[in-house]
Amino acid sequence: MSKRPYEKPVINKLRSGLMNKFGWSPAYARKVRTAIDGVSVDELCGQFGSPLFVYSERTARRTYRQMFNAFSTRYPNVVFGWSYKTNYLQAICALMHQEGAIAEVVSAMEYDKARLLGMPGEKIIFNGPHKPMAALEKAVSEGAVINVDNLDEIVDLETVAKKLNRTVHVGMRLNLDAGIYPQWSRFGFNLESGQALDAAKRIARGGRLKLNGLHCHIGTFIMDPQAYAREITKMVKFGYELREAFGFDMEFYDIGGGFPSKSRLKGVYLPPEVAIPGIDEFAEAITHAFSEALKPGDFPKLIIESGRALIDESGYLITSIVAAKRLADGTRAYVADGGVNLLFTAFWYKFNVELDREVGGINETSVIYGPLCMNIDAIDEGIQLPPLKRGTRLIFSPVGAYNNTQWLQFIEYRPNVVLVTEKGEVEIIREAEDITDITRRERLPKHLELKNGK
Amino acid sequence: MKDLAIGVSGINAVDNPGPGIGVARSLKEDASLNARIIGLAYDAMEPGLYMDWVVDRSFIMPYPSGDGGAYFERLAYIRDQHGLDLLIPNLDAELPLYIKRAGELKDMGVGTFLPSMEQFKLRGKDKLIEVAERMDIKLPKTKVCTSLDQLIAAVDELGLPVMVKGSFYKAYAAYTSTQAVSHFHALVAEWGYPVIVQSIVVGEELNVIGLGDGEGGSLGLVGIKKISVTSLGKIWTGVTIKHRAMMEAANRFIRELKWRGPFELECIVKGDDVYLIEINPRFPAWVYFATGVGVNLPARLVRAALGVDQPPAPDYDAGKLFVRYSYELVTDMVKFQQAVTRGEVG
Amino acid sequence: MNRLSQLALSDEGFVFDPQTGDSFQVSETGIAVLRALKEGRSDEDIAQQLVAHFDVALEEARRDCTDFRSQLKNFGLA
Repeated sequence: MSKRPYEKPVINKLRSGLMNKFGWSPAYARKVRTAIDGVSVDELCGQFGSPLFVYSERTARRTYRQMFNAFSTRYPNVVFGWSYKTNYLQAICALMHQEGAIAEVVSAMEYDKARLLGMPGEKIIFNGPHKPMAALEKAVSEGAVINVDNLDEIVDLETVAKKLNRTVHVGMRLNLDAGIYPQWSRFGFNLESGQALDAAKRIARGGRLKLNGLHCHIGTFIMDPQAYAREITKMVKFGYELREAFGFDMEFYDIGGGFPSKSRLKGVYLPPEVAIPGIDEFAEAITHAFSEALKPGDFPKLIIESGRALIDESGYLITSIVAAKRLADGTRAYVADGGVNLLFTAFWYKFNVELDREVGGINETSVIYGPLCMNIDAIDEGIQLPPLKRGTRLIFSPVGAYNNTQWLQFIEYRPNVVLVTEKGEVEIIREAEDITDITRRERLPKHLELKNGK
Repeated sequence: MKDLAIGVSGINAVDNPGPGIGVARSLKEDASLNARIIGLAYDAMEPGLYMDWVVDRSFIMPYPSGDGGAYFERLAYIRDQHGLDLLIPNLDAELPLYIKRAGELKDMGVGTFLPSMEQFKLRGKDKLIEVAERMDIKLPKTKVCTSLDQLIAAVDELGLPVMVKGSFYKAYAAYTSTQAVSHFHALVAEWGYPVIVQSIVVGEELNVIGLGDGEGGSLGLVGIKKISVTSLGKIWTGVTIKHRAMMEAANRFIRELKWRGPFELECIVKGDDVYLIEINPRFPAWVYFATGVGVNLPARLVRAALGVDQPPAPDYDAGKLFVRYSYELVTDMVKFQQAVTRGEVG
Repeated sequence: MNRLSQLALSDEGFVFDPQTGDSFQVSETGIAVLRALKEGRSDEDIAQQLVAHFDVALEEARRDCTDFRSQLKNFGLA
């Protein structure tokens, strides 16, 4: 007699209002992913270990082209600035540059990274509230686009201009009311209060700088296309005021980024596919408002700084269950080998969770913990899962944005990151760390060396 | 005529009832449709699962969340196992998904009769100003706010008290500006922008149920007044009426927007002035009231979806009374067990 | 064990407790374990029985029996 397939024994109490678990119809409730872009999850982990970040080159390129076409077909003079902070793995940045994006950096480190990759200064937009003097001087001499954040930076830039004995073109970072709450007022100069106009006055009086662009970034994960329309209308109006008052001609309008991906924000009612407008709706609202606001014959550059919307959906994290336990209140809990140390965005997103195999049995409300010895390390605190065995793999997505830049180096090594190429080959794009990565920069004073140590 | 398998959701005939049972009952009463009702439920405790004289077979559905993949797989299963010719979704939360994927349903051989996404968005509260203009109907003074500054300015301009409304659901009266601000924050947190501020109009609350053919023609309209409501604000007793100005506005709504599918207009009437309060893009829970006075809108919807020619909607009499009542049924635990273990009953 | 002995078990995995009116959904293996517990069998016995009928290793079956018992305790059934 052949044995029947085993499912772990489970008993769930039925509660009114909570009787939609679909525990008995696995096909409807469970998401199974055995491969990413045709490469099997088993093979990936067999070769590169677990946890493992996997990027899909095909998805990344397709997303870029879709989004770029959405804008360029409506307003041809458009440039994408790849937002390094979203994901500055070299392979990802290079892929975006191959597609035509220039670099958008917000620190000296990111600037260096773009240069190291071979991006010339004039293809780098330098933003951010902290631009050290040395970095400013380098950026100016290499011809980078610099968006000024504050009055002190204007003074610094004038010093650089004096030293290099030339007029420096700069953009100005604005903050404004586009109907988005909270309003990001800590970056740049406020438009409505007249602060921005005062700063322009100051720049004109100084005589060493010339304003040739405006920059703004109204927030992150903006779901209302009309907010961008309001933003750009205000920016262009202000651009014409600058021309009128000081003779500054705006060569570019940089509207920042903040476009949503299909990540599911915790606490949002509708699913992302329904709640989040398509990129065409954003492109339509922005280019329409832009064309309306511009005077006939003007055709300035439109710069979009996108990160999340371009890369998030290309990234997956494969993890493995290392232990299963039951909490005191009866809730089933799993420990995975990757947690918030790798998925920093777990704090505000509910990920799509897929299993690497079909698992039978009744779904239970379960918690997925990461490997950290800290209470905050929970990736999902209420997911319906059938009872899982140790070794089962959980695949989280989308995780391409912000995780490989904000991940923590805390008690664990950071794992391999691989790219599944368009040809279906798998390339390591960042090697797993070992102990030398942790200790390389450390110095152990002589008197602290242990006798039996090395 | 072969029997027609019609999926109906919202069979939660509880104290805050969904429209499903009213819709199903209307379909059953039109014997020539030969309708077999497939109930779509989200919980094993929805009364419709147990009302076998109205609902022939019921299924527990996954929530229409995510990309709707699981939901559609379930629909495909139902179609394959028991047939599914037509679907009438009756719950607000289902509509965006159904509308967005109506084409796929059609490819699956499952008909619907729904407004387009553009029309659906027009009934959003932030678009009411535009719709009211096209309907040539009054709107309580309305301001659409996307920032706190705008809200404060709007309250100043309209004067207190005001209604503060979320873009999808929920509405609160505010008697002070502090209250308005706190409602504003609560609504933004739950529903996002924009938030709508409206002045409060005092008058009679009248409603219209209707069905548009999608080309500007009406497939039937019935006007009512709610005489009494429950503590949840749901109709308990009502009476049919024929307020000329309101009915004309409802006809203009169908004509101007080329509305396709069922709808309910909530209005406040003050003398001859009709103010539009809300548009619901589905049947209301009291849909059977219209059927009871001879205007069987669900049955007419089915014929419209099948492309069957039908005569103009019959007239109805004003002064017909609607009385909701409580009633009980007793059945075996087995049905509950089936709902829980198999996800289907019947 | 008294409450356990009065539970009504269905092969479909529906369990009704006539004392409290509570209902439960239970997996196929869970029903097998419940039946065995009602007969007063030991954990080791039950684990052996699972191994005999299902494709599972003894160690995993033992762990799962312990876990299932703690679930029952959690619902006040054991």
